[in-house]
Amino acid sequence: MPAGDAFSPRQQEDVVRAIRLAQQQSQLPVSVYVGTLDGDSRATALQLHAALGAAAAESVLVAVDPGARRVEVVTGPDVRRRVDDRAAALAAMTMTSAFQAGDLAGGIASGVLALAEHAHVPPSLHTGSP
Amino acid sequence: MIARPAARTARALSSLLAVAGCLTAPLLLPSAAWAAGVDDGAEPGDGLSVLETLLWFVGAPLALFAVIAVLVSAPSMARGPRYRPALGWWAAPVWFNGPDDADTAVRRAVPTSGGGGASARW
Repeated sequence: MPAGDAFSPRQQEDVVRAIRLAQQQSQLPVSVYVGTLDGDSRATALQLHAALGAAAAESVLVAVDPGARRVEVVTGPDVRRRVDDRAAALAAMTMTSAFQAGDLAGGIASGVLALAEHAHVPPSLHTGSP
Repeated sequence: MIARPAARTARALSSLLAVAGCLTAPLLLPSAAWAAGVDDGAEPGDGLSVLETLLWFVGAPLALFAVIAVLVSAPSMARGPRYRPALGWWAAPVWFNGPDDADTAVRRAVPTSGGGGASARW
């Protein structure tokens, strides 16, 4: 996506790295939208999440509206088992506490990592042996 | 404690005098030294012209002030506007890991039920 001047290159890199880590370590596809959420922010975030297409069901969308100071975490039906609403709320709180201090990119990165942490499924050992 | 008006005026006057004394003392001291005349062996050069005086005593401090001001504000100017929670949002939307054609995708999208998530504000 074309990057606006919302983030410096280094901040963008932080967010991208967090998204990549979530994908690598937890196989959790995370999409991050930063911009205005017009009207009902939840409905707009759901619309954005649906716009992810075929991957939407197993994707997590983090939508941040810095102007209205709202953050929406949307989980698809399939991924909801791994990232339940409580984990999503925890990640949202992680983000808002950083946003309050004015750290937009850092908050997003730590929120994405918090989501990945909750979605992480440790490999089960010793299941093959009797 | 309530100070009486007369006492307060006296105190303000004395502090004013003290400040004025501190400010004028350095100006008076050299003139007192000069009043004693030129020391033996001293060879004073030409005096400064008006233009030179202005240059050294007004221009140089102003230039120093400007340089320091630039040094202080340059980093934040180079970094550009920074997000502050109370000052709204100015930048174009950014979508990391989003659809290729975002506008079309959002227009065509039909939200499905069964998902979850959370909302928060700050």
